[in-house]
Amino acid sequence: MYEPRIIGFLCTWCSYTGADTAGIARLKYPANLRAVRVPCSGRVSPELIMRTFDQGADGVLVLGCHIGECHYDTGNHRTAKRLPVLQALMTFAGLEPERLRLDWVSASEGERFARIVNEFTEAVRALGPCQWRQPANGRRHLDLRAASLETSLPERGGQP
Amino acid sequence: MTYTQEIQNKARELLGGGQVEVVIGYEVGPRGRTRPAFVYDPQDVERLVWNQACTHNLTTYLNDHLKPKHPEKKQGANSEARRVAVVVKACDSRAINVLLAENRFERQQLHVIGVACEGILEDAGQAGNERSAHQLVTNDPPQYQARCRHCNERTPLVYDTLIGKPESHLGTGPNPARPDAYQRLQTMTPAERAEFWLSQFDRCIRCYACRQACPMCDCPTCLYERDDSLWVGMGIGLNEKRAFHLGRAFHLAGRCVGCNECERVCPMDIPISLLNRRLAQEVEAAFGHRAGIAPVPAPFVTVLSNPGG
Repeated sequence: MYEPRIIGFLCTWCSYTGADTAGIARLKYPANLRAVRVPCSGRVSPELIMRTFDQGADGVLVLGCHIGECHYDTGNHRTAKRLPVLQALMTFAGLEPERLRLDWVSASEGERFARIVNEFTEAVRALGPCQWRQPANGRRHLDLRAASLETSLPERGGQP
Repeated sequence: MTYTQEIQNKARELLGGGQVEVVIGYEVGPRGRTRPAFVYDPQDVERLVWNQACTHNLTTYLNDHLKPKHPEKKQGANSEARRVAVVVKACDSRAINVLLAENRFERQQLHVIGVACEGILEDAGQAGNERSAHQLVTNDPPQYQARCRHCNERTPLVYDTLIGKPESHLGTGPNPARPDAYQRLQTMTPAERAEFWLSQFDRCIRCYACRQACPMCDCPTCLYERDDSLWVGMGIGLNEKRAFHLGRAFHLAGRCVGCNECERVCPMDIPISLLNRRLAQEVEAAFGHRAGIAPVPAPFVTVLSNPGG
């Protein structure tokens, strides 16, 4: 059976502790999540997320402190602004938007953590394997559909 | 008096009076190609021109010409501040606002010669003989660039001297002969979009021309050109090339003013402006921010204004 590979970037102050809380409370959540502990959700740069998908992740979950509870005051403000825009950009480049999710989990919300991981894993499982990663050194053969879009000279530019 | 004469007169006045050390404008090169010109001497102002091939965004050169010559020698504030004059179109003038918001230089260091532009032609930047050959074959009247057909801001937003009269806007609308790839991409499935972009990024040779032409791309060392960077690769694999283009577009989110120079200089014809356009739309929808309308920083470096919502 297909098991999605999910990378979770968890803020060490809230979400990572929230995952601990879930563990202490013996709550079940899918083992598909590989947790990466980061100092703040604001540390999760767009490069990091793109790299994760480039390396073959099926979904990326970014969890931080609730707005107003950031250990660094406004680190999660940056994330809250960046991530939806990155999601829009990657969607435009061909990623299913459901594969990237940003949410807030505080240290005491073990139940919320387990619920989010469950939801996200099921959502990604429903999408199937991610096609984002490209084989190294592999040149692509042009898909006819894409080629026709090119040769029909799309009008570009003209930013409103 | 033509635009060219007005620009020359102003440049002569500024250089002669010692108000600026250089005037950055346009000239016509030996092959008939309009290109950027740097005029240091009042005797050389005859070189400066204005025509419908002045496509280059000259604000790209401002950072280099305005940063202190000897940063190690800390002297009295502004005593050694360099001053330049630059010729801008309405679209380019927005880049000045972005650079000012990022504190690249002081407004006083700059004399902006704004031109009420009448639209730039699509084959701008090519040699004159190439252009005429093209027209001989196709017999088409020269087309305005896509950005000019959508343009409705003929007056520069920032200027000290205004050349020409700002009249009705250009805005001839999209070219009906060519369907808009942007709208078409939006209606495609994710797999189709991925296929389209991969076939585009596959052509990239990582020459970084897009980065060099961009007034905003001014990091001393580009993140994507570091060999010790852990998260991005310098390689020419498809993953790395896609990460470069998407990452560069993201770094320009809320800053890109849509001058489309990156796309014009791309030797492989990658439609970079589609990415920039998508992000500009997203940033405007999410934050109500349009780059360069006012000298305010991009929304990504500020805190949420309404944390609850």
